[in-house]
Amino acid sequence: MSDQDSFDFIPLQIDPKTKSISSLSASTKLEAELSALNSLHRALHSLDAPHLVPPPPVPVNPKRSANVQKLRESGNTEYRKGKYAEAVKFYTLGLQMALQRPPWEPQGLVREEVHQLYSNRAQAHMQLGNWPEGAVDAEASVTAKSQGNAKAWFRRGKCLMEMGRYQEAKAAVAQALEFEGEEKELAELLKEIESKIVSQKASGDA
Amino acid sequence: MFDINWRGLLLPLAYLVVLVGTFMTFSTVYRKRKAFQSANLAPWFGPHLQRNIYLSLLHMEPEEGSEKAPKVPESVIRAALLRRALEDLNRIIQIRQAKAACSNLLQKGSVGDDLWQRFLRAEKEMEEELRDVVMEANALVPGWGQIIFQTANEIAANKALRERLEEIEGQTEHEKEWWEKKRATIRTEFMKELDEAESKSVASHDEPVLVDTNVSSSRPSTPGGAAKKGKK
Repeated sequence: MSDQDSFDFIPLQIDPKTKSISSLSASTKLEAELSALNSLHRALHSLDAPHLVPPPPVPVNPKRSANVQKLRESGNTEYRKGKYAEAVKFYTLGLQMALQRPPWEPQGLVREEVHQLYSNRAQAHMQLGNWPEGAVDAEASVTAKSQGNAKAWFRRGKCLMEMGRYQEAKAAVAQALEFEGEEKELAELLKEIESKIVSQKASGDA
Repeated sequence: MFDINWRGLLLPLAYLVVLVGTFMTFSTVYRKRKAFQSANLAPWFGPHLQRNIYLSLLHMEPEEGSEKAPKVPESVIRAALLRRALEDLNRIIQIRQAKAACSNLLQKGSVGDDLWQRFLRAEKEMEEELRDVVMEANALVPGWGQIIFQTANEIAANKALRERLEEIEGQTEHEKEWWEKKRATIRTEFMKELDEAESKSVASHDEPVLVDTNVSSSRPSTPGGAAKKGKK
């Protein structure tokens, strides 16, 4: 764009019914952009009546938060009853609900909701002995919120340890200690992992 | 009284005319050349696709056969403007990040003046672009100009977060497969160990054989057999 008053004209077409924009020239970049535009357009239609455009990020419509909260609590109840598979289902639903939040709502809120759900689901998976799923969920949880999330860090380390991936577990827990400071449980887990590494080495040499 | 000797002044005047004339020609030519050069510098960013789409939507041409240009609904225009704001934000961030590095390199002489000129121009263009987007937003919906970039910022951050989470969740299948395989090998090895231990104990009864009964199938930490699980 050499100057502000000119632009490159792109021949675009609009579907009269669906209002979706398309183009005849098939460049992948343009097509990707147009599909992003159309999906954003559809998303804008979900706005409540008085708003024509996304309102400022805060305050948020409390409906979705309440739903997510409810699903998480249902999951927690099932977990306490010992029905871990059911709990996993509820947490998954809650995650879907939280991740479908419209994109213009604050991402901090999404992180807050999602990290708890992932962390809880990791715990439920651990109770079921599904270590790989637990490890992945715990990783997702710490990605969403790396500070003040000691439980998820612990679960990640634990799952990796249970799978015999001691080096990865050690790296995860060491990173956790950086974020969380001296957390007692994490330090203990680190010790346990280190002793495992030592015994593995010893038996490997024997 | 004063008798001006015009003929005597002719020479200095001619000198002055030639001097000023040369100076002016030089300066115009120089300036033109410089402007031409800076106009021909490669732009910092590639074509602004979102901006082009937005403006193309505003200037839709009539389709063949019909006289009137197709009507583009306002909501599509708004979505297109939001996409444009998103891309602008992206570019602004790039500029901010590049600025310190660029000026540093210029001071050290590692990069030429050209690059710096290009950079400054891109910065100026972005400022104008942002102003333009705010104006357009206010024209579409009163008061939107103040929040359009906030919204765009959240959209960008949300997109990044979701992509990251999806990437992590995408590993699940792979991890599960890996774990199934690993568990299978562990189990077979464990069984082999048991068999060996049994045959050994059959062969020589007086040697005590250590079989750890507490070992779960997921954790092969029998003292003797761990040497064999080198492969993962």
